[in-house]
Amino acid sequence: MKNFFRSLLAKYMLIILMALFLFQAGYILIAAFAMGLEENITSETRSEMKNETEVEESWHVDANSLSPVSAQTVGELFAKWKKEYPEASMFWVDGEGQLAEELDTDDSLPAQWSSSYTAQFIKDRYDRNPYTVLALIGEEADQGFLVFEIPRSVFNPPITQVYDQYGTYLVGGLVILVLVFISLSFLFFRGIRKRLLHLQSAMELRDTDGLPVQLEIKKKDEIGQLEESFNQMVQELRESRKREQKEEQLRRELIANLSHDLRTPLTKLRAQTYSLAKEELSCDGTKAVKAQEVSIETIDQLIENLMSYTLLMASKYSSEPQEIDPVRYVRESLALWYPVFEKEEFEIEVNLSPFKDAVWIVDPIWLGRIIDNLLQNILRHAKDGRFVGVETESTRDYDAFVIWDKGKGMGGESEERGAGIGLSIVDLMVKGMDLKWDIETSIQGTHIKIIKDK
Amino acid sequence: MVHILYIEDEREIGGWVTKELTEKGYMVTWLESGEQIETHLKKADLAILDVMLPGLDGFSIGKRIKKENASIPVLMLSARTAMEDKIEGLSFADDYLTKPFHPDELVARIEVLLRRFQKHDDVLNLKHLTLYTKDMRAVHKKTGEEIQLTGKQYYLFQFFIRHLNQILTKEQLYEGVWGETYIEGDKTLMVHIRYLREKIEQNPARPEIIETIRGIGYRVRG
Repeated sequence: MKNFFRSLLAKYMLIILMALFLFQAGYILIAAFAMGLEENITSETRSEMKNETEVEESWHVDANSLSPVSAQTVGELFAKWKKEYPEASMFWVDGEGQLAEELDTDDSLPAQWSSSYTAQFIKDRYDRNPYTVLALIGEEADQGFLVFEIPRSVFNPPITQVYDQYGTYLVGGLVILVLVFISLSFLFFRGIRKRLLHLQSAMELRDTDGLPVQLEIKKKDEIGQLEESFNQMVQELRESRKREQKEEQLRRELIANLSHDLRTPLTKLRAQTYSLAKEELSCDGTKAVKAQEVSIETIDQLIENLMSYTLLMASKYSSEPQEIDPVRYVRESLALWYPVFEKEEFEIEVNLSPFKDAVWIVDPIWLGRIIDNLLQNILRHAKDGRFVGVETESTRDYDAFVIWDKGKGMGGESEERGAGIGLSIVDLMVKGMDLKWDIETSIQGTHIKIIKDK
Repeated sequence: MVHILYIEDEREIGGWVTKELTEKGYMVTWLESGEQIETHLKKADLAILDVMLPGLDGFSIGKRIKKENASIPVLMLSARTAMEDKIEGLSFADDYLTKPFHPDELVARIEVLLRRFQKHDDVLNLKHLTLYTKDMRAVHKKTGEEIQLTGKQYYLFQFFIRHLNQILTKEQLYEGVWGETYIEGDKTLMVHIRYLREKIEQNPARPEIIETIRGIGYRVRG
């Protein structure tokens, strides 16, 4: 229940209830206001306010009973009615058709009234505004007639008058109520939107380990719960990453220890072979020692390849690409390999030209490893050709390094033929760095291209 | 005599390396752990360390040596071949050689380090020249005349001698001597090599001391 009152739903319902309450309260207030005004207006006018018919009858009665008929008595009658109906105007046309007395009339009335003008006047005023009552004076009807005029609005009910006088304020009040409700709703949803946008941008922030940062929870509503779930997810992700790193570390450690444990006896073997080689040996003995030395080198390389391959296959040997000048890098690798080929009396042909696109985004260690594996293969399996060539090749579509030999090709026999793990590593690393490679092999030799598409 | 401090816990390997290095004319102190290292460190010209040792590992010992005396070159000699190990080792050590190694390679690397740290007054015979590496004096064997090198020629020659037998690319030479990034097509290095050859070679058109390795760079062989 406590959580419900903290929720956005509860807040929204509160706004709706407030709106309903405000509308109801508004209606009651307006009604009370209108009633108050009506009462006020009613009290301002007379309590025994007559309707049109009653006014007409009274006017006829008063006109009929007027005696004696003189300007004074007519004036007194007018004054009496004026007191009762301040908006009214009145005049008297005597038996000769003269405009004998008037009160609050406009200037349009003629001084002499003909029978035709009188008929026209009656016709014009019939059922029009102002409300006009024409009454003959006395029984004989030779004293002329009295005319009473009053705006018809005087006879409207009080509520109509309230609307007429205060309608703008009432409508204005209603508009303000609606605006208050719209503003409250707007502020509520703007607040939600703002927090959601903040949440979105906070979710996109990354910590130094590449994972999202934890969010600060300020409220315990639905968005707060979402933030809490997000934090929980980040926490679980971080723990999972830690576990993964720990596993990776253990795997690397295991492989490093295995490598160490295998290489230590191999070093001992090298020591023994070296010592043996110093002794005076028979021809066969010397051959055996040399073969043993070659085997030590091969086993060493195989251990290295096996370890790398295991890590690569488990995606634990990660590539760390950086911008490097590949030509420079390959040239420096060749500088290290040159004495080895020189010792084996290889002809070495190097022709490296800078690429137009001087920078490759690759892992230099991986690129070095690829070159090492390929050159090592030539040294082991293409010794017969006594030739190694390395050159650059640029076309419209790609830049490439070409490494070639004049051995017997990959189909040929080699004393140190292995399972091809070195080339498998090359394959994995080439693909891992978005490069391509191509092998052409025949009994005349092998050409290998390491290709980067433009 | 060059004094080498060698720490290796594998007795067979330790004994073999000590014997080989002693035969090559070095004085070797072989310890099976890094416990008594302080007493031998003062006399040492170079330290060779295995990584996996009882007690303190080779990395910790190497860091301690470098902290106490940075002028002692440290060579890590380990069966740990992972890239991470090499990178960690080379963060303080001057070289990293993996097992199984050939003793000739070990000696070559020791010599490079001794030259780099100027630990012995080497006299090198370079064809018709005698070179005193400590002060980089080159003397013509027949005439006894000392060859005068200008600033950049001197530094260039010194860089070659410090990397004796290594093939150096144009970029490595330029950046090593001039201390600036090499820009493809810059002829400065070629010009200085030509001047240097004119000074030290008997026939600069057929250089014997500074070899050109086609497509790769240059090399001075000792």
